[in-house]
Amino acid sequence: MSTRIQASTRDLEGPLLELTDVSTHFRTPRGLVRAVDGVSFTLERGKALGIVGESGSGKTILSRSIMGLLPPRGTVRGGSIKFEGREIGNLDRKAMRGVWGKEMAMIFQDPMTSLNPVMKIGKQIAEPLQIHLGMNKQLAWATAERLLQDVRIPEAKRRLDQYPHEMSGGMRQRVMIAIALACGPTALFADEPTTALDVTVQAQILDLLGEQRRDRNMSLILVTHDLGVVAGHTDEIAVMYGGKLVEKASTKGLFANMKMPYTEALLQSIPKLDDPSHTRLNAIAGRPPDLVNPPKGCRFAPRCPYASDKCINEEPPLVPTAEDPNHLYACWYPVGSTEYHEAKRRLAEPTDGLATATAAL
Amino acid sequence: MRYFLQRLLQFSIVFFIVTFAVMILMRLGLNAPGDPARTLLGGTADQELIDETTAKYRLDSNLFVQYFFWLKGMLTGDMGYSVPNSISVAAYIQARAMTTILLGLYATVFAVLISVPLAVHQAYKRDSMFDKVGSGLSFVFVSVPAIVLAPILTIVLINESEISFGDYVLTIGGWFPRVGDKIYPWQDLGAHIENFFVPTLVLTLPLAAIYTRLLRGDMVQTLQADFVTLASAKGVSPRRVLWVHALRNSLFSFVTSIGTQLGAIVGGAIVVEQFFDLDGMGSMLVGAILSKDLFTVQSTAAILVACVVVVNLIVDLMYAVIDPRIRHMRALA
Amino acid sequence: MSTAVAPPPAATPESPPATEPAPFKPKRKRPSTGLILACTFLFVLVFLAVFADYLGFIRYPDEKVLVDGKAGRYKLGPGWEAWFGTDGLSHDVFASCIYGARVTLQIGLFATAFGIIVGGFLGVLAGYFRKTTDRVVSIITDCLLAMPALLLAMILVSRLDDVRNDVTWLDWFSRKWQLVFTLGLLAVAPLARIVRAQTMSLREREFVLAARSLGAKPGRVILREIMPNLIPAILTVAFTGLSIIIAAEGALAFLGLGVEIGTPTWGKLINDNRNQIDVAWWATFFPCLMLFLTVVSFNVIGDRLSRRFDIRQAGV
Repeated sequence: MSTRIQASTRDLEGPLLELTDVSTHFRTPRGLVRAVDGVSFTLERGKALGIVGESGSGKTILSRSIMGLLPPRGTVRGGSIKFEGREIGNLDRKAMRGVWGKEMAMIFQDPMTSLNPVMKIGKQIAEPLQIHLGMNKQLAWATAERLLQDVRIPEAKRRLDQYPHEMSGGMRQRVMIAIALACGPTALFADEPTTALDVTVQAQILDLLGEQRRDRNMSLILVTHDLGVVAGHTDEIAVMYGGKLVEKASTKGLFANMKMPYTEALLQSIPKLDDPSHTRLNAIAGRPPDLVNPPKGCRFAPRCPYASDKCINEEPPLVPTAEDPNHLYACWYPVGSTEYHEAKRRLAEPTDGLATATAAL
Repeated sequence: MRYFLQRLLQFSIVFFIVTFAVMILMRLGLNAPGDPARTLLGGTADQELIDETTAKYRLDSNLFVQYFFWLKGMLTGDMGYSVPNSISVAAYIQARAMTTILLGLYATVFAVLISVPLAVHQAYKRDSMFDKVGSGLSFVFVSVPAIVLAPILTIVLINESEISFGDYVLTIGGWFPRVGDKIYPWQDLGAHIENFFVPTLVLTLPLAAIYTRLLRGDMVQTLQADFVTLASAKGVSPRRVLWVHALRNSLFSFVTSIGTQLGAIVGGAIVVEQFFDLDGMGSMLVGAILSKDLFTVQSTAAILVACVVVVNLIVDLMYAVIDPRIRHMRALA
Repeated sequence: MSTAVAPPPAATPESPPATEPAPFKPKRKRPSTGLILACTFLFVLVFLAVFADYLGFIRYPDEKVLVDGKAGRYKLGPGWEAWFGTDGLSHDVFASCIYGARVTLQIGLFATAFGIIVGGFLGVLAGYFRKTTDRVVSIITDCLLAMPALLLAMILVSRLDDVRNDVTWLDWFSRKWQLVFTLGLLAVAPLARIVRAQTMSLREREFVLAARSLGAKPGRVILREIMPNLIPAILTVAFTGLSIIIAAEGALAFLGLGVEIGTPTWGKLINDNRNQIDVAWWATFFPCLMLFLTVVSFNVIGDRLSRRFDIRQAGV
């Protein structure tokens, strides 16, 4: 268990990341919280995957489970996570240390709290270089300077000697990216990398991430609640709800032909520029499911406007669509099906009891 | 720099007010002319000597003048004369200071050496058995005043007692001498340790407990910060995460308490020196206060207050060393 | 980003659907064993101290315990005859401890009350009016904290008797009240500091701003809006302060600056019997134990309160 993963065991062919039935549960006083429940997918090298869902959908826990960054106490992990062909799902933190920073790196949500306030920027970037690549201090700092240039920070040399509080939020997020890129990881996890930033800075950071990903042939896992963020910056999208994978497709495929009513609802909750003014934003009614006692059937059923008895009682399997075998979804009555249209029509009618009754007669 | 000068001024004001207040307090109830001198010299002194002493220390002038001349004396090394002990106050303090300095130094150093690893490890293994036992112990020792700990450690470590379990008799204690002798490390290290061990322990344990509690609390909070997770995600070893990334961010209360606890150490030293018959500044103060030895009390108090003030000034500077944000703010101020 | 998207509220929680399980309520925190023990100990101690004169099993403090018809100086160890043994004056240590609790607890309570009144007053003024008032108060607290507490207490207590002899109307100012005054003074600085900090944050809270904007006078704002909200903080510090004051009283008594001769206190018992500690450990040990248990008990309650009200008191 404690043996470090050797570079020689790396499998340079095949998918980068292969998840089979991954689950992460937390023991709490209330009971077992099934934060991630039976998620499977694969990610090819150099691709960008967006994991999308509301807060509480398990997307952040999933990304941290893959990295093995969760506190070991009270956490129950299951399933198999293969990274470059090696099983890492059952490794402890000690064994993962050789992977962290070197092959997998992470960018956190809030750049204000994610950098060590009492350590110089240069040292924070140089640290993984010295640990993983055995660089001496001089070389590590020189490399750090180049990394700062890579992430478009002006006056990189001067910045190395600064502390995080001397920089703006966007600048700090660039430093975070520089730290993550330092050792040339093959997979980069970005957990809501732009949520805490100004709108104008958001696009810059996302573009920077995309550019660096292409330059370095690195896989990117972009975790966000915002379908708009993943739309232009990913190859594939995985939608999560209640700890489960509910839809996965190529980005194009998903936006062209979304199957899950939840995905649809997520999209409708985003304001668009070309909407006429005063268009109502469609927030999703209700709350994410309780993950200690999840709903019996489809987990979205209690909030789904199109749900039927079947949805409430039977859990839909993850199945491919007829057109595209790589487009998976888990819904009994997907968007576009006859039942969906019927339900939609029902909803559109005035909820006048008498009228409905008459129509039924 | 400007900030530092401001603090220096502030602390000087405090020093002057407190030493002046001590002088007033020591003069309470000595209102008749010649009273202070008579008190200084003891009841049997003749009028001539009283007049002479009064003139020498200007004990008949108003308090501000007296204070001024006392302060001038302090700065030139003339701290007055301790009549009950027939020795100049400066020499008296010189003879006694080392014991107290050693006690205070040992207590602080050992308390830091005990508390820092303990607190860091407790925070790291939060809610584990180790943490719970550590927290329980530190809670108990925070609540043990020196006056309780000294007799109890005497009973356990100094008294020889036999505890019998059926046929088996366990002898504990008797490891240290009862009466403390002032032996310095450069005289006889072994004897020094024997004599100073229990008094030091009495001072160290509560101090270590306070430091541990403060540091553990801050450390637990720091370990939940994002930058600590990021450090792990960079592949930094847990030891380095704890000692390099988290510790420096958790030192604020800890460093503050090193300053604020100095008064408590002095209080503890007074009790400990009295209890173990160690001749230090603490037991000297007790004697001087009870015998109304005006100059001894005034000068010793002034030295102690100066120590407290200087240590707090250093602590204030330490904040800036530890945290660049504070440096930044002060540079702007 | 072609569609220019603002971060949307992904889902606004609205009224939960009826099918959802009841939201999780944390179990009511049971009072911990430590808290129960602490309260029980203090309750029993206070009860015994108050009714000591009427309880048959407690000897009078000046009653000599006889062994074989002779004074039982240090003769009796802890046992059925005398629970905590006998001391150098042949007194029952248990009885002395109980009567000692009387004095100590009284001094502790009155001193804390004094500290709360003076410290609270200064703290509220500093926190509410700030500026010069704040500066003056902070110099006062700085001065009080710069002096090692025990040293200040020793000097004060040793001099106050002289003052009392000089001033005729101070006849009531016996040693006990001198101790109350002195120890209360030590509690002023920490209390003033914490009250000042709390007042400062309360002062900017909406309900206080509302009252001020309605034109309420400072006195009314302080009395009606701020004071009630200071009670948790004051209560918390008071319990911790009480434990420190009781320990300090013990130290003063140990150094020979306790209440009048003839009245037993824990510190005095420790001082009187410490030289016979190798012969009669009990005469020193049990007063120590009582002092320790009392201090711990008050600390347990203070700690519990500070967690309950989320008050940090690093400097106290």
